[in-house]
Amino acid sequence: MFSESLNKTHSHEIKIPSDTAYIRQVSRKIEDFLKTKTQNSSVLFDIRLSVEEAVKNAIIHGNKRKENLSVSVRYSFREGAFSVEIEDAGSGFALEKIADPTKGDNVLMEGGRGVFLMHKLMDKVLYDKNRVSMIKLLKSQRGGKNADHKGK
Amino acid sequence: MQIIKENKNDILLLYVKGEIDINTSPQLKKDFDKIIAAKNGKIVMSFKDVSYIDSSGLATLVEMLKNLRSYGGKLKLANLSTKIKNLFEITKLEKLFDITQEEEEAIKALSA
Repeated sequence: MFSESLNKTHSHEIKIPSDTAYIRQVSRKIEDFLKTKTQNSSVLFDIRLSVEEAVKNAIIHGNKRKENLSVSVRYSFREGAFSVEIEDAGSGFALEKIADPTKGDNVLMEGGRGVFLMHKLMDKVLYDKNRVSMIKLLKSQRGGKNADHKGK
Repeated sequence: MQIIKENKNDILLLYVKGEIDINTSPQLKKDFDKIIAAKNGKIVMSFKDVSYIDSSGLATLVEMLKNLRSYGGKLKLANLSTKIKNLFEITKLEKLFDITQEEEEAIKALSA
């Protein structure tokens, strides 16, 4: 079952079963949360895509689609930055083993672009075992990725 | 997601409407498997009404392109939104796919 709460650090928390049908519900909740914070459709697209990729990875690779295992999504907004943390019940993965999908023949790979896109579209992505944390600056800052994406 | 098919001369036009993600891309794959089984050689896919695509959608497109090319089929993508085109650029898929601004341009090129 989809569940939602507000934890002690004022972060919102959503828990979903390991079923990809719930992914859009998560990103919709986050879009609603961000509505009053930014109208930049490019930034909202980047956040939606990155969150959905991370939740998808948590469901498929972390929890191996076992519906009794849940995926937790915690998010907050502070000082112009949107932070989101996605946690599964898996044992984590080795980021260094993920091939760069843009290198040589890797461009022909049918998978492996999710993590790559998360790194490209968010300002910060950190892995800690079975948890990934991402930050997106909502206010364009000089030299930040939002500045790079201006007009896209 | 909805896919509307239209034939124009010997070109198959595919108008995709909606979002291509992990939950809808299997439907796109199913439709494309039929196209590949029929060995359609010239395909234009319009993204005019596609508002979102994720890595699963991109993966499906790559798989479809490889299958099409296996028998010499040609695929052109048209009318991509700025944001979706940006994803093709970031992932370098813009070099793999033939992307045109307008579908008329794609039709003209395949008709030549």
